[in-house]
Amino acid sequence: MARHEPLLPNAGIVARREYRDRTRSPLFIASTIVLMGLALAVALAPIAIRYFDRLTVTRIAVVTPEDGLATNALAILDQLLNTPPSGQADPDWTPPFVIERADEAASMDALRTGDVDAVLLVDRHPSGQLEIAYRTDGLGDQQRAQLVSVAAFGLGVLDWNANRPAGDPFFNPIFRLEPINVPTDAGEPVDPQELASRSFLGIVFVVLIFITVVIYGMWVATGVAAEKSSRVMELMISAASPRQLLTGKVVGIGLAGLTQYLAIAIPAIGALAFQDRIAEAVLGPALASEAPLVGLTPTLLLAYGVFFLLGFTLFALIYASMGAFVSRPDDLQTLSLPLSLLAMAGYLAAIAALGGGGGGGLTRLLSFVPPFSPFVMLARVMTGHVEPWEVALSIALLVGAIVVVAAVAVRLYAAGVLLYGQRPGVRAFVAAARRAG
Amino acid sequence: MSLDIDRVTKRFATTVALDDLSFSVPRGRIFGFLGANGAGKTTTMRICLGILRADAGEIRWEGRPTTDLPRRTWGYLPEERGLYARMTVLDQLVYFASLYGQSADRARREALHWLTRFRIPDYADRRAEELSKGNQQKVQFIAAILHEPDVLLMDEPFTGLDPVNLALLREAFVELRDAGRTILFSTHQMEAAEALCESVAIVDRGRLVAGGPVRELKRSSRARTLRLGVDGETLAPWLAQLPGVVAVRPGAGFAELELGAGAEPDAVLAAAVAHGASITRFEVAEPSLEAIFVDLVGRPAGDEATLAEGGPSDDAEPAAESMVEGAA
Repeated sequence: MARHEPLLPNAGIVARREYRDRTRSPLFIASTIVLMGLALAVALAPIAIRYFDRLTVTRIAVVTPEDGLATNALAILDQLLNTPPSGQADPDWTPPFVIERADEAASMDALRTGDVDAVLLVDRHPSGQLEIAYRTDGLGDQQRAQLVSVAAFGLGVLDWNANRPAGDPFFNPIFRLEPINVPTDAGEPVDPQELASRSFLGIVFVVLIFITVVIYGMWVATGVAAEKSSRVMELMISAASPRQLLTGKVVGIGLAGLTQYLAIAIPAIGALAFQDRIAEAVLGPALASEAPLVGLTPTLLLAYGVFFLLGFTLFALIYASMGAFVSRPDDLQTLSLPLSLLAMAGYLAAIAALGGGGGGGLTRLLSFVPPFSPFVMLARVMTGHVEPWEVALSIALLVGAIVVVAAVAVRLYAAGVLLYGQRPGVRAFVAAARRAG
Repeated sequence: MSLDIDRVTKRFATTVALDDLSFSVPRGRIFGFLGANGAGKTTTMRICLGILRADAGEIRWEGRPTTDLPRRTWGYLPEERGLYARMTVLDQLVYFASLYGQSADRARREALHWLTRFRIPDYADRRAEELSKGNQQKVQFIAAILHEPDVLLMDEPFTGLDPVNLALLREAFVELRDAGRTILFSTHQMEAAEALCESVAIVDRGRLVAGGPVRELKRSSRARTLRLGVDGETLAPWLAQLPGVVAVRPGAGFAELELGAGAEPDAVLAAAVAHGASITRFEVAEPSLEAIFVDLVGRPAGDEATLAEGGPSDDAEPAAESMVEGAA
């Protein structure tokens, strides 16, 4: 059999050349800058959302049969909710809440259409005790609900003070939250803010991993095809073994991808680390400390890094063997289409997983099956509620698939690189793959 | 010691590229591997390099089969030239040499030495795409020798070079031979082979037609070269009608003719006289390699080989299954 040739140093030499070639290209630098900006925007999105939230007006409808109760309820809610930040007098400040009395039917319609954010229903029992319900579409803002419960208590005190004869005992008003149409995840209600920000992040990450895997994968394929069409391959194949060449190419371009990833992730992590201070500067101290910011976490970034590397390696190996089968880079489109469709299927399944709280059984299955798993499992990690063993199993299967695909890819690559002048075609590729297998 | 091609057979699908081919290249010599396109020259070199594996037979260098030899034994100039277009000349020379285990410092020094020798020192820091074809070819030649290989396999090294560069490359060949390198080069240009080689192998359709020292080939050949000068006339059409006569260098008033078996110089002279030509020169000379080639193969080496269906041209490609070695 052929001579025994260790991977190093040649795979390293090839990888270094590939890395330099990529990272010095203007396209690489430009795309890094664009993606860096995008990642920063994502990292700071929760602050931006709150910044704009501050400028929007929240409407609360009060429904009650008694005029006196209505007047009191409006006054108390206004005092509790419409507090200027830090008590400072700011001439530009406008109250963030509009509180109005309405009848029940109209206010329920308005709640459904989103014209009002919440409805406060105040009723009186025959015993004289007040019964107060705070109705929201979805779970609503938890902090606000707490403030409203305080308001309900105050309303009870005021009412007792004004209407009950002396000596009558004080009944704590009955207060309950009535969230309607609450999204649930495995029976647990999900905080809508967290849900929204998670699926937003999830979409960004899934789009990013799909684009980078396909783009870097195509770099590998076009790199191989270009070496072939420029006939440098003739020199390379006599200087190094196919295994060394293929490994060097995938590692070099993978490292270039990783460099881009770090260039993107480090500013984003920096923004996360300082997000409290940024929030304070943008929103002012009162609003900044209002609620914990939900968004990018180092764990999610790590998950992205792992699934990107494994997904890229798997796809890059297949792309490389495809690149070896075309005589001109132009022909690559034809051959790479099925692979792009495969990646696209994983991408769509991942988007589905982001939708309904982790997706159905098929999505769950696909989160273990390479080559879909890098996209789908990442999406599941993004939406939360994934057991650690599930992630571990998905990664293990992915690594196993990479080992198998690498063995076949090296043979395909060796077979393909010296074929010139043949029409590229999926059939020829599959036939060679069968022989190589 | 020598490079031994020993009964090598190689098939691509249904066609036979090499058919029981045997010859030996003595160590420290320049050896010409002569044949038309598709004769099997590139396939033989690829088997040497371990890119292809022979179906039968073996190639050995100093008694060891090629599969046991490290890659740096060989320096290869492929017929299909190619460099990394956007890499500088010096960078890629160092890159290729480092794949063969040469240190970067030494490779850089040697590369600059050879670039200077080939009169292109200023191109060291230029991108390969800025170079002319001839200069790229010289760079590729340097890439083949920087790691100081024992054996140089040069596939059509002189194609496309202008006379100045041709002379530079021939000098380099001689210098490398004097330094102890063994050079096997393929060509279909017989002048180059005649000028450089002590020994040759003539192949046709994967079979060895003749081989050995050039002097012996000439002595034993039936072919003769005839130089015929005719006053004031371009090459007359009657020449082409003479059986066994091929005009290899037709010119105005002068022609060099290769006489195959059965063609006699007397017959040419008689024909010239019969056609009323005024003869200015008539010389029967030792046959050129071209004449020997034509005599043995039946056509000049510049002609494309006529192949069996789907034939094994060195460019049109062999089937995939045969090329997967080196992968395990």
